[in-house]
Amino acid sequence: MSLLKEAQQLLDKLKTAHKKNDWPAGKAVLGQLRIKLIQLPAVPPNTGFSSPTAQQELLLARDVYEHAVLLALKSQDEAALESSFTQLKTFYADTRSLLPAAPQEWMFAGLDLLRLLVANRIAEFHTELELIPAEGMTVPHVVSAVQLEQWLMEGAYNKVLAAGKSLPPECSFAVEQLSATVREEIASCAEASYSSLKLADAQVLMMMTSKKELEQFAEQHGWAIEGDLVHFHRAAADDANAEQHLRLINQSLLYAKELERIV
Amino acid sequence: MVQEQAAAAGANDAAPSAKDAEQQQPKPFSVKEGMQGIITLLEKAVKTKETRLLMGRLMRQTAMVRKHMTASDLVAFINTYLPMDSKSAGFLKGYVMQDGDTAPMEDDATAAGDAGDGADAGSAPGPSQLPEVELYMYLLLLVNLLDRKQFAQAREVADTAVGLLQQHNRRTLDAIGARIYFYYSWAYECTGALADVRSTLMAAHCTAGLRHDAVGQETLLNLLLRNYLAYNLYDQAEKFRSKAQKADTWRVPGQYCRYLYYLGTIRAIQLEYTEAKEVLQQASRKAPTCAHGFRVACNKWLILVRLLLGEVPERVEFSAPGMRTPLAPYFELTCAVRSGDLAQFRVVSEKFAAAFRADRTTNLITRLQYNVIRTGLRRINLAYSRISLKDVAEKLALPSAVDAEYICAKAIRDGGIDAVLDHAGGFLATRELTDLYSTNEPQAAFHERIAFCLNLHNEAVKAMRFEPDAHKRALAAANGGKEQMSVEEIARAIEEEEEDDM
Repeated sequence: MSLLKEAQQLLDKLKTAHKKNDWPAGKAVLGQLRIKLIQLPAVPPNTGFSSPTAQQELLLARDVYEHAVLLALKSQDEAALESSFTQLKTFYADTRSLLPAAPQEWMFAGLDLLRLLVANRIAEFHTELELIPAEGMTVPHVVSAVQLEQWLMEGAYNKVLAAGKSLPPECSFAVEQLSATVREEIASCAEASYSSLKLADAQVLMMMTSKKELEQFAEQHGWAIEGDLVHFHRAAADDANAEQHLRLINQSLLYAKELERIV
Repeated sequence: MVQEQAAAAGANDAAPSAKDAEQQQPKPFSVKEGMQGIITLLEKAVKTKETRLLMGRLMRQTAMVRKHMTASDLVAFINTYLPMDSKSAGFLKGYVMQDGDTAPMEDDATAAGDAGDGADAGSAPGPSQLPEVELYMYLLLLVNLLDRKQFAQAREVADTAVGLLQQHNRRTLDAIGARIYFYYSWAYECTGALADVRSTLMAAHCTAGLRHDAVGQETLLNLLLRNYLAYNLYDQAEKFRSKAQKADTWRVPGQYCRYLYYLGTIRAIQLEYTEAKEVLQQASRKAPTCAHGFRVACNKWLILVRLLLGEVPERVEFSAPGMRTPLAPYFELTCAVRSGDLAQFRVVSEKFAAAFRADRTTNLITRLQYNVIRTGLRRINLAYSRISLKDVAEKLALPSAVDAEYICAKAIRDGGIDAVLDHAGGFLATRELTDLYSTNEPQAAFHERIAFCLNLHNEAVKAMRFEPDAHKRALAAANGGKEQMSVEEIARAIEEEEEDDM
């Protein structure tokens, strides 16, 4: 029982650290809390031991993991974010039968989806999406994550950037990275589809605020700026040729090998 | 096989059993004789340690018996073939008698009489001590209960059967054991408790791997994959599949088809459509003609994967016999995608939302939206050499010309359409069409076909089976003939010599 009380006190400390956005302090408290959680008998992976305070312990553990995720989000620490999300998800899965459903479960699922989307891990995004049932699909976080993915796939980047400004507050970590990704995408699309573009138009297209930014960007990508126009390079055809030759050679070798095998 | 049964029938005519009277219509195939045949087969197989024989023939005959079997038949068989004092016999009879149609007492007497006659005639086997026979009885009871939809009872029987199975380590039990696991998982699935079974199946899979029980390994692998996929745990399913031990060749073609189907669904969800298409096509081709439901399910996923890859499935596939009704929603979906009409696509997906959810393909269909736009763009590109972006937006039902510009740019970069954008003029212009034969396209198409044929050849060679002693027999016949001749020749030669001497 005293174990539970101690854990509760630590959790309160964690909450205050979270409110103050104090990542180092929060991390320290989190470390202590994790040790306490292992000692509590009813928390997974200690399933099999039932104790009179089982429900409280499980609720406590859930609170701890959720706050761990929120803290990691605020501090933008990638590795911590990854590990805390994994822990939270496994915890939800394990205790689905033991605890009443938490409405915030789907909010966290939505945040996870957003994180995967921004990191361009689309295959994992979709496998996670499969796990969300119909009732989870109406939660605003999930809805915005799915919409963003659709728009990114279609190529409606202007919508993506507009939506980025209107995301819920927890998703602030995503907005910056999203803008960067989107800008890169627009740049590569523009390279392939325009032969040349006026500077002013290019600026609007890539949603940049100043001409200088555009010039820097253009230098990075190897575009030539002549007067008022930006000329996009076309990729050299030589690489393509070499690749083709290699492919033909491989194919011919395959045929030779297989035919020899036919007795 | 037929002659044996006829002989047995002839021998048992002396004691007309109540069983024959109970069978209302005279069936050309008598369940009793079928059972006798099976038990003889089992005992012979165990004696000669022939596992392949067990697989094919046993399962076919079980399928035949299953259709005609009744509860009273079961009781009779249990009494005939299991020793009277075995624990299993009592347990099994308890379950059968819970819902037996006729009074079991009569059958006991007649069955005993039959057993006696059988022993006299010498052609029908009596009570057997083999664990194979015991577990086979469990299997029959399981199948019977499942056929009658008594899932809760089937679950209990399955639990006991699995417990019993784990005590033995005999290779001749592999085929029966695999079947028992299959029905065990099925009973749990029908009662909605599939998650509970996961740890048992996993443990059994590891044991099967250790014992080189190939059939058991395959079956359990598929059962576990099915388990994960039923709960949409694609991630875990993939991790398990990549790490699990698999035999080099698959013993049971049905299990191979199932494995390919599960693999195809996982790949489709993970956005690897090319591999998914290959695998699903293989599964669909290898499936036996009677596996109707399986083919339909395969085809549903195959259609979606092909749509996602950008190819349109042929109309012929939708009108194959028996496929028309289940595939009707997908047919309408294909029409919407082919016409590139986003509004119609949305209407169709709303209309059949329930069907798609039942098939678990809802998320895949959401992904199709992009394909609809791309197909629409491609049609516009083919039709117009130059078209203003505003018109494009109108045709594709997009909100504005700016959106249309971005979408076109992305489509061009992805290689969907071959065109150039002009921002100042605000239009989309098609590039010069090049002669297709001067590019590498024909070579790529040829290569696909050649690779498929070579693959088919290799698989056919691997699938060939020779009788293990056939070559020895042929050799012996050739040698024996020669030797005999030489012995005779020598004898004759000696006689002639003696005569000569004389």
